[in-house]
Amino acid sequence: MAIVGEKQTIRYYGAGDVFGLSQVAEIWRSRELLFSFFQRDLLIRYRQVIVGVLWVLLQPLIGTLIFMSLFFLLGTKAGASNVAYPPVILVGMLCWQLVANSFRDATGALVNYRHVVTKIYFPRLLLPLASLMCAVFDFLVGSLLVLPTVLLTSTTIVWSTAWIVLPISLWLVLFCAGCIAWLSSLNAHYRDVGYALPFVLQIGMFVSPVVYDFERIKDSLSPNLHYLYEANPIATCITAMRWSLFGTQPPSLPGLILALSLTAIIVFSGLAWFRHADQQLADRI
Amino acid sequence: MPLAVHLDHVSKRFRLGSQQEYGRLTEAVARQLLRWFRQPTPSATNSRMRDGWFWALENIDLSIESGQIVGIVGRNGAGKSTLLKLLARIITPTQGRVGVLGRVGSLLEVGTGFHPELTGRENVFLNGAILGMSRREIRTRFDEIVAFAEVNEFLDTPVKHYSSGMAVRLAFSVAAHLEPDVLIIDEVLAVGDQAFQQKCMGKAEELRTQGRTVLLVSHNLASVANLCNRAILLQNGQLVDDGPPPQIIDRYLRESIGVEGIKKWSLEESPATDRYRLHSISVHSHSTQDPPRCDVDIDRDILIRIAYEILKPNSSATVAIRIRDDSASNILWSTNAHSMNLGTDDCYAQSLKPGLYQTTCRFPANFFNDRRYFASVSIGLAPGIVELHEESVISFHVHDTGAMRKEYSGSWQGPSIRPRLEWRSAPLPTNDFDSEGSAQP
Repeated sequence: MAIVGEKQTIRYYGAGDVFGLSQVAEIWRSRELLFSFFQRDLLIRYRQVIVGVLWVLLQPLIGTLIFMSLFFLLGTKAGASNVAYPPVILVGMLCWQLVANSFRDATGALVNYRHVVTKIYFPRLLLPLASLMCAVFDFLVGSLLVLPTVLLTSTTIVWSTAWIVLPISLWLVLFCAGCIAWLSSLNAHYRDVGYALPFVLQIGMFVSPVVYDFERIKDSLSPNLHYLYEANPIATCITAMRWSLFGTQPPSLPGLILALSLTAIIVFSGLAWFRHADQQLADRI
Repeated sequence: MPLAVHLDHVSKRFRLGSQQEYGRLTEAVARQLLRWFRQPTPSATNSRMRDGWFWALENIDLSIESGQIVGIVGRNGAGKSTLLKLLARIITPTQGRVGVLGRVGSLLEVGTGFHPELTGRENVFLNGAILGMSRREIRTRFDEIVAFAEVNEFLDTPVKHYSSGMAVRLAFSVAAHLEPDVLIIDEVLAVGDQAFQQKCMGKAEELRTQGRTVLLVSHNLASVANLCNRAILLQNGQLVDDGPPPQIIDRYLRESIGVEGIKKWSLEESPATDRYRLHSISVHSHSTQDPPRCDVDIDRDILIRIAYEILKPNSSATVAIRIRDDSASNILWSTNAHSMNLGTDDCYAQSLKPGLYQTTCRFPANFFNDRRYFASVSIGLAPGIVELHEESVISFHVHDTGAMRKEYSGSWQGPSIRPRLEWRSAPLPTNDFDSEGSAQP
């Protein structure tokens, strides 16, 4: 019946703290809604389950095949290590697809749900986060490919460090969350962000070690450029993930620190900016 | 009663013109720098447009206690919807703060948050979650929600195949069954049919008796008068009056429709379809030669004149009038069809040439009671086929001049109409009772 348990004092809508940290608590409180959004996005995509799953598996698989044949035709090796190429590139493709899919879907998330955003209040960050959850779901489904690939190429997995894949994946997801907080709200205010994104993603794929491994290009870069390259959290995540699974060369410590600090900056500034942008969202979207 | 809603000196402004459109990031960076130097200050100027900003609301100070149903009246663009959006937290105030007690359910326009690809069932859960219900709560109320919305058979049909009436029924049902502490309704009731509107009114009343607060924007003044126990009047973004609904509606009508008893549209604003365009609706006392007026005497004929334009050749026009009293009760409905016409209407059922026409309906003197009435007007090809409908578009107040109360000085408050009827009494022959009795063996 009546909601008696709730505190009977009037609550003023506040902007929250400047850093937007209150949004985290708000998201936690509305986790059920986040799950509903996620479920809805998933439901629409996987209305036909077989096609949906096939699609998710095909994307990294075909990417892997294309680049394998490309490097084969060019007659060069994309990797400097002794590890077989297919599992290495598959890890890169999966990580990259997590980034690209979440960026692409989340950037339009607020704009596509304009009719909801302008009619009702809920923590708006849930919408891009639901897109991110979908990308993570695809990532997990795609990860099923790793084991058969490893078996087929008879690659040895370094089991002692393999568990580190989990914290690294979490790091990558966190980095994506920070970026989509920026991208989705910027796109709601300025539509040119959405147009520029595919271009940026295209470049991003080649400045990250997605289809090659880092060792291969390391020697052609000066040490400073080398650190700059590793400051890209996507690059460092992929390198670290390969190291933990296959024992290839790990990222350098300065590079790791740079990438982690960049991630922290993006996540916190993303939260703060989103809070600021959220204030005018319904006016501007 | 505790305070349920508090607007503390709230102002809201919007960007004017093309700049408000989706900007470019590059342009925005430069503009943002400039904006920091110019903080908004609400000044005493009358104009709502200043320095490229449009002030939709200015310095609104409003407190509403739990258990009130508040109607918000005002002309288009007065800031009614902005006010509701502020309360629903969809937009944030430029200045001041907005406070609400407990959960807020809002119903702004049709199909709030419905996803066209999902079925009705999936949308109920999603929409309920957006409104702040937990899955458990939705599951326990699910049957109730569906029964209220009357969409049982369509539960597993994607919402894109719903009619707008069905969508709004379901949306209202979800919002109303959330058991919000504050329910915000904007115009949506206009979409449903008569029976559903009545049901919604009933639900709103039920919420009120449970000590919840309802805020309502409606162009249907009769429903504001009937349902609300408080009304506020917005004018050009400012709160100009606050009080019991009859008083507020009276002032609103006096100031917006005006004392002249005529509703006239400009070409851009006039309600129109591709066949008809409304020009004006006016109320006259005694004859249409007299100037229009909204205060009419009870002992004079009352005429409602509808001026309209026919835009398509070979169109016939059936004009209908519905009268409600100030408690929103439906009193009568009539059209110019032959069988409902005391006189003759030569234009009825004729195919008319494009051009201007007028249709007048005469109500006899000593028919209405001493109160306010609202007239709705519709035009269509045949009775019951409505193309153009304007709800409660004009109102008039019938005044008791004493013509009918020479013998009775008590109150006539209550009945919707007070027609002068024919009464006759005569003495009966004394054997009448006997013959009646003996006729039955």
